[in-house]
Amino acid sequence: MIARMISISRIGTALPPWGNEGARTVGDDEDAVTLAVAAGLAALGDTDPSIIGDVVFVSRDFPLLEGGNGAALLAGLGCDDGVRIREIIGGSPAVLDAIAHATDGTLVIGSDAAGSAGASAVLCGRSGATVELAGRVTRSMPVTTRDARGNSSDYADPRLLRERGVNESLARLGDPRPIAAAGLSAREAGSVCDGNTPKLVTTGASAIGFALAALVEQGASGTVLAVEQATLVVARLGEGNVLVTRDEPPARPRPGGQLAPGASVSISLSAYERAFDAKLRLAAAECADCGELSYPPRHRCIECGSEQPTTLVPLPRRGEAYSVATIRVPVPGLISPYTVVIVELGDTGVRTLVRLTGATPGSVAIGDTGRLVFRLVAVRQGVPDYGYGFLPDSAQAEQKGAA
Amino acid sequence: MRRVAMIGAGMTDFGELFELGIKDIVPMAVTEAVNSVDKGFDRNDIQAAWFGELVATDGFATGILADSCGLLDIPVSRLENACATGNDAVRHGAMAIASGMYDVVLVVGADKVRETSSRSTFWDWMGMTRDAAWDFPLGLVAPANFALHAARYLHESPVATREHLAMVAVKNHHHGVTNPKAQMRFEITMEQVLNAPMVVEPFGLYDCTPQSDGGAAVILVAEELADRYTDSPVWVRGTGIGLDRVMHQHKRDMTTFPPTVKAAKQAYAMAGIGPGDVDVAEVHDCFTGVELINYEDLGFCDKWGAAKMIENRETYVGGRIPINPSGGLKAKGHPPGATGVAQCFEIWEQLRGQSTNQVDGARLGLAHNVGGPTAVSAITILGIDKD
Repeated sequence: MIARMISISRIGTALPPWGNEGARTVGDDEDAVTLAVAAGLAALGDTDPSIIGDVVFVSRDFPLLEGGNGAALLAGLGCDDGVRIREIIGGSPAVLDAIAHATDGTLVIGSDAAGSAGASAVLCGRSGATVELAGRVTRSMPVTTRDARGNSSDYADPRLLRERGVNESLARLGDPRPIAAAGLSAREAGSVCDGNTPKLVTTGASAIGFALAALVEQGASGTVLAVEQATLVVARLGEGNVLVTRDEPPARPRPGGQLAPGASVSISLSAYERAFDAKLRLAAAECADCGELSYPPRHRCIECGSEQPTTLVPLPRRGEAYSVATIRVPVPGLISPYTVVIVELGDTGVRTLVRLTGATPGSVAIGDTGRLVFRLVAVRQGVPDYGYGFLPDSAQAEQKGAA
Repeated sequence: MRRVAMIGAGMTDFGELFELGIKDIVPMAVTEAVNSVDKGFDRNDIQAAWFGELVATDGFATGILADSCGLLDIPVSRLENACATGNDAVRHGAMAIASGMYDVVLVVGADKVRETSSRSTFWDWMGMTRDAAWDFPLGLVAPANFALHAARYLHESPVATREHLAMVAVKNHHHGVTNPKAQMRFEITMEQVLNAPMVVEPFGLYDCTPQSDGGAAVILVAEELADRYTDSPVWVRGTGIGLDRVMHQHKRDMTTFPPTVKAAKQAYAMAGIGPGDVDVAEVHDCFTGVELINYEDLGFCDKWGAAKMIENRETYVGGRIPINPSGGLKAKGHPPGATGVAQCFEIWEQLRGQSTNQVDGARLGLAHNVGGPTAVSAITILGIDKD
């Protein structure tokens, strides 16, 4: 086993607002990709996404197994479509392994949409705290399984998993005593760790990022453990400056809503492809002649009529609700109620029509401010259709009130 | 341009006509129009026909008109212009005669909204008015389309409230009671409107038009032929079509429908009249708030004056400018392709003193549609006087 030295400099975490403090659930407009985007953008902060040269996306809840999630993730992160991206089916061990083997400018994201949902993203490079691989064991103890068709089963024997799974694997690694364990319940983590191990809100691929975030916030360094059934990865976290940014709204109950039966929304993949970059990158066409921003992009400038080639420029993400409509009747294939909002973006004069997200339908009024966030607009004939939703500032107040 | 006379008009009942197909509705409307001609009419006189239909029912639209009406030997064209289809079809018929190309023209509008499930209609019809990639997946159903305007209108208006929207529903239901063709012939109260289940805020159930089937037809002839068919023709005095940015994101001021303002300007200029000359109007009230905005866009009052107009009952029959004496889309029903043609039928009856909800002494009437993604309007002005 060759141990290589890499440092981590930034960690971003993201949780859906829905659920309770112990476990979050995704909203109807969230999935592993939207959570990954939220965590990745939290990690980046104001940093230019062009510093990312490599993206590793780890999950067992990929929206698509065929058809691809990578392009949507890159677009949501604002990365160039030439950036290398790999989708790894796995949990926290795969994430920790990817971090330990990362190169300068690698963003490693773990994302969980099923069960307790959340995502974490770790930016790797030459500065920050070192992460050094200390051991790895891959063994089979498939107490829970999920097959290619999504069928799952549970052998329901936690003692067997603990004794012949986790403990046996730890023994094979020489019984390390980690300071944090990702992928175990709080109780199990406490039994294999020394000291006050951080309590983690997820147990899947994102858990190790939450663990690292908690450790660096405490200024702790030492051995960290990532577990997925009987498969373990152990690494040593060194000391160093790591910036942690948490996009973790307080938990509150998911608003009720009812899915009206009916066919799924149809899609034109030609139209999808034409709109993809502008829609998923929230970018307008800037007129070469007059500088007017057209959103969506169009052949002929909306202001001056120029038909010169345009360039895509990012739009501001903060905005104000110009008008609002809340649909309360059942609409086949959709969950009612839902709210659509026309948002005026910054001082550009550009408006966009989006759904309300992260807030109770009907809870936004004309003039309310907020920001646009990457969301799943619809699943159309099996194709996730991503775009943006309006997260009003009032949703934060609503969350504080509920917390 | 030659003057154009309307010498016959007819319509089917509007409603959930489950027992009738489009192949029944179209010939029924045409036969009513033929039978309405005072001095008799031989349908073999028809030289060309236009068929306004939004969504093709039972397939090939022009063939259905020709086949079902026994008009196999004339040219027939289909026209679709969202909810402005009806009045645009009338405009095309009028143009065909005004140009001198034909002397006798049939204009038919029909649709069968209830040919599909009442819920799936949202999607079946949304594809016609929404950008496939940008707006369609949001679920911007028709009431939401207009609610975005109404919400902004109520936000900006210093006077209008949801109660004013409800007053429109109460008025149009009141008007519809006497109309034997109307889908909803019953009075409603303010309390009923305000307490009804919410559809899309600010529209409750009674703020919305029903889903309807139906057809309507008018017969247009050149001035020199009018005497042969009737002693009291109605004249097509003006027409107009206005358009706007298609996407809501691009409409700078959503408290108005610029297509209506543009169509009205054209039609008033063509007729040589102003809004103050109009004695009666049928306007597009697919949702109550839309009727209020129409008052202002058509020039029947100043900006923000609509609330006071309805509050003071100025648009009731007997008021300053009666609006939707037929019950409007709200109570009469709204089979989109038929709607504009049926508005012309009502004005035709009003101007000839034959309406069941007669406006005394009406000499000039206006019919108005606004629709699609609120990006098109069509207006027809009819008069009992030639000029």
